[in-house]
Amino acid sequence: MDEYDEMYGIEEDFEQQFADELEVMAEMDYEPPQQTKVSEFRNKKPQSFEDAISSGDLILKKQGAITLPESAASQQSAVNKRASLLPAALDDGELPEHLLDGDELHSPKSKRRRQDVAKKLQFGMSDDGHDITPPSSPEDYSRSTSNSVQAVPACNLDVSGLGELQASPRRANAATAHVLRRPPASGDYISVTDSSGNRVYLAKKDESTVRAMDSRAMRNSHYSLGLLSVPIEVLMEQVTEKRHRQLVEESQRLTEMLNSHIDEEFGELDGGEPEAEKQAEADEDHDGTASRLWVDRFSPRRYTELLSDDFTNRCLLKWLKLWDTVVFGREKTAKKPKPPPTDNKLSFQQKDQQNPRFKTKIQITEEILEAELDQYQRPKYKVALLSGPPGLGKTTLAHIIAKHAGYNVVEMNASDDRSAELFQKRIDTATQMKSVLGANEKPNCLVIDEIDGAPTAAINVLLATLNRKESRETDAETAGIGALKKKKKKAESVLLRPIICICNDLYVPALRQLRQQAFLLSFPQTQPSRLVQRLAEISRCQDMKVDTGALMALCEKTDNDIRSCINTLQFLHGRGQRQLDQRMVQSMSIGLKDQNKGLFSVWQEIFQLPRIKRKRVGEELFAGMDQGGQASTATHRLQHILHLASSSGEHEKLTQGLYENFLSMKLKDPSLRGVCLALEWLGFSDILNETIMHGQNFSLMRYLPFLPATFHLLFAATTVPRISYPSSQYEALTRTQHTKNVLVAMLAEIHPSIRSRVGVLCLSLDVLGMLLEVICPKLRPVNPQLYSMREKQQLVELVDTMLSYNLTYRQDRSPEGQYMYLLEPNVEEAARFPGPAPPAGSSPTRPSR
Amino acid sequence: MSLWVDKYRPTALGKLDYHKEQANQLKNLVQCGDFPHLLIYGPSGAGKKTRIMCLLRELYGPGVEKLRIEHQSITAPSKKKIEINSIASNYHLEVNASDAGNSDRVVIQELIKTVAQSQQIQSSTQREFKVVLLTEVDRLTKDAQHALRRTMEKYMSTCRLILCCNSTSKVIAPIRSRCLAVRVPLPSTEEVCSVLTSVCRKEGLLLPGELAKRIAEKSGRNLRRALLMCEACRVQQYPFSADQDIPNTDWEVYLKETANAIVSQQSPQRLLEVRARLYELLTHCIPPEIIIKGLVSELLSNCDGHLKAEVAQMAAYYEHRLQLGNKAIYHLEAFVAKFMAVYKKFMEDGLDAMMF
Repeated sequence: MDEYDEMYGIEEDFEQQFADELEVMAEMDYEPPQQTKVSEFRNKKPQSFEDAISSGDLILKKQGAITLPESAASQQSAVNKRASLLPAALDDGELPEHLLDGDELHSPKSKRRRQDVAKKLQFGMSDDGHDITPPSSPEDYSRSTSNSVQAVPACNLDVSGLGELQASPRRANAATAHVLRRPPASGDYISVTDSSGNRVYLAKKDESTVRAMDSRAMRNSHYSLGLLSVPIEVLMEQVTEKRHRQLVEESQRLTEMLNSHIDEEFGELDGGEPEAEKQAEADEDHDGTASRLWVDRFSPRRYTELLSDDFTNRCLLKWLKLWDTVVFGREKTAKKPKPPPTDNKLSFQQKDQQNPRFKTKIQITEEILEAELDQYQRPKYKVALLSGPPGLGKTTLAHIIAKHAGYNVVEMNASDDRSAELFQKRIDTATQMKSVLGANEKPNCLVIDEIDGAPTAAINVLLATLNRKESRETDAETAGIGALKKKKKKAESVLLRPIICICNDLYVPALRQLRQQAFLLSFPQTQPSRLVQRLAEISRCQDMKVDTGALMALCEKTDNDIRSCINTLQFLHGRGQRQLDQRMVQSMSIGLKDQNKGLFSVWQEIFQLPRIKRKRVGEELFAGMDQGGQASTATHRLQHILHLASSSGEHEKLTQGLYENFLSMKLKDPSLRGVCLALEWLGFSDILNETIMHGQNFSLMRYLPFLPATFHLLFAATTVPRISYPSSQYEALTRTQHTKNVLVAMLAEIHPSIRSRVGVLCLSLDVLGMLLEVICPKLRPVNPQLYSMREKQQLVELVDTMLSYNLTYRQDRSPEGQYMYLLEPNVEEAARFPGPAPPAGSSPTRPSR
Repeated sequence: MSLWVDKYRPTALGKLDYHKEQANQLKNLVQCGDFPHLLIYGPSGAGKKTRIMCLLRELYGPGVEKLRIEHQSITAPSKKKIEINSIASNYHLEVNASDAGNSDRVVIQELIKTVAQSQQIQSSTQREFKVVLLTEVDRLTKDAQHALRRTMEKYMSTCRLILCCNSTSKVIAPIRSRCLAVRVPLPSTEEVCSVLTSVCRKEGLLLPGELAKRIAEKSGRNLRRALLMCEACRVQQYPFSADQDIPNTDWEVYLKETANAIVSQQSPQRLLEVRARLYELLTHCIPPEIIIKGLVSELLSNCDGHLKAEVAQMAAYYEHRLQLGNKAIYHLEAFVAKFMAVYKKFMEDGLDAMMF
């Protein structure tokens, strides 16, 4: 941090380097802490010309509303307006809550009654207001509008004609500026014409907060037909009371948080603010989420909270920022000397920047990020592909960065949506459309998780989307272009949204194509120190007493898997353990990942006796329960190998590897008894496999891991085995197939009368060997015209034989420049065996055909 | 026609060279009009196919010999396309259903159905049934064989089956009981000799009786192989001499060498070498049963009389497991390893006995 401060003073280009990061942090700081609750209102501040127009519209309408007899409605709309403007400036969060509550209490009265009258008469009796009928969709809304318009045709029209609008359901007020006399200047709208020919326009903009409240009230309204045992007022009162209680509680917690925050600042130097913030949030979450997984509860919310490698984070962020030009229409910000104007008041929290000393590989990545945009102003690589073992925070990183860069994250899991059609649909939905309803008017960023689980067909769909070329050049590349293009006869639009793919295994065959077109980011291991620090915070939050050594041990045990660490902690916490030390971690059997070891390491463990591990003081007690591997007795070894073999899952390969390597081991077995036993087992496992496959009797599969266990007991030695990958079986298979193909090719053209007598089998067993002899007669190497009658006769017969058996010679030039005549199809390789082959002129040249 | 095997193949029941009694019976069978399903079995090279073709000619006349190759593609219920070649005349259809691998059941059902459902138009001039000739029935899966049971009965009026195989042991009993089983044994050495001599005479060659006998013995009375060997001899050297070299097929030589390698040394390293050789044989489309059979006969001739029974029993055991399993190499190697162990122990015991 200090380092950074120094550099910030001096180096200018550093700012460029981290411009994106700085910007994000600036945005972060700008958002009030309660952003999750009230941030929707922020959008309401008139910011641009268009917004000004629409808000002018709004004011006009408000004025109209005042002229109405039902002034309550207008009051309420004013309240609403106030509520919408206030919270942005508020820090407390208490006031907006009250306002909202008030909103809920007062607003719906008049409208509700009116509408109910329009619908059914008996509604009127039980309806005491308090409930709101929210349209859940525009269609719904327009229907109810026309309903009420028809029902109240006699409503006296105002000069401005807005009276009728006000007479339409409350929605028009509550949602402010949804029913307009003229089309709104910005945003989408729906036009509605009533029976008397008046046309109004409904803005399609919506406010999620209002809707959320509405939907809650909606539930009540259903029961308001006297079906409730408790009157609705009582219920509402209870709700209000509860809310109030919650608010009080929350304010208390906030105070606590502040206190603890201060404590932390004093007590811990490296902690810094973000942790405190996080803790606060964790506390915030605490109320309704006692059962939530800690992994979710303590997941990072801020860029600075990320545990993953800084460089990786920065690269992804930079890549995502490259999209700004096309998505937001912004110029590339990297060139600006100063951060964007919104950053004015920020104070940086550069907790963990590292020195920009880059290695060559890193430089390459940097160059990718600096590369020019293509013709559509897109970055060169349209997809980022994050890879790394589970539990490093890949998904979290993708989500946070996309959120910070101003995107609406659309996540799809490639394991769920496997079919190509569904994939296509989801991709198109996410990249070409944008949400109209709701507050999420940010552009989408597609995050495809676990893409290594997707089939090749689906990946191809993705690739096709990436490489789609626009049929027609347009200069406007903004987000609205999609709507324009729809009118053009389904012109396929280019991809204009970033896609982030996440996978565990980068080298899955299905991803081969994608790898070449993607911006590859592989995750390094999480630094244990950072992970331990985070774990310590979490455990402190949850009143667990854990020492650093224990956490280090935990990290080591889980291979620095963040998720696994936190889950283990929670598990222990849930069992009521409030204390954890190193010994406990080591003796614990949970937190061990059921991981897939590589085949080679499995083979090695099978063929190698475990080393007797140096035992540290105090560990003897747990020797038996140790991780396995170190278990010394035969029983434990057997158990260990069984576990290993059954978790590896690739029995076929495993068995083959054992089969091909066991004879090369140093066998102390002069009587070959062990070898016989091993082969007996192999035969048994083969029969077992056949039975499983043939009868689909998969319950027998549990007996397969015993083969590796037997091999271990038979052949394990202390020396390090040299293991080669088993390929002979595959080779044999391909060669057999090749031979078969040659024979079939030969048979294919044989005359049917001969064909019916020879099959592949008898060809390879009987005919071929002799046939090759027959077609190599000893002819004098002279001009064929000098042949005797007999020799000519022989030659004719030979040609005849070859013809009827579909054999010819193909001239082939050897590398030495000599011409060779090879049989075609080359049945010679199907019939001849290596070794001292009979020296008959196997590929003789034929002077004449 | 090219090779002697093809050139001098008899085409009528009356012209067959051996098993004339059986040929006569077949002739009577055709003439009595009530033609059953047939199951013709016997070792390879005994003349099963020749006999069947003669029988068909007896049934339908020389029209059967106008053969054509039909490529058919059949769609299995699982939407899998199966390509299969069949040889057909106007009167019969010959299929090797085992070419279709695991989908042979579908092939059999479809093909027989199409043949059997077409009625003969002029039943007065022709037989009222067609013949479906299935070869290598013993290589069919059990599924396909069971599918055959019903089909055989259902289409009895329009279709007869002639099944051809090497051994009935792999044909399920219900099928065996539905067919008239005809075994075609190998010709005796004398019969092979006489066939060879007559073929040579037709070629205008003079074959010494000595050589004919040697060829007959070397070929294992397999007539096809005997004729091919004879022709190969002719190509190598003519006029024949009684003690000339008779060419042998490569794989047999190779197998013999393998057996010698097993006998000469018993160690894991040797086992590895043997494994490579076994792979080599398998990749040349030599069926594992034949390999194990060849190995046993070579090994038996090399080992002591006391061991012979045990070795034969071992071979039977491992061949059975081979049939049950899928990966032949495991079982072949297990047999070799077992033999090595037994042989080594025997030799060491013998050495010990000599020392003391």
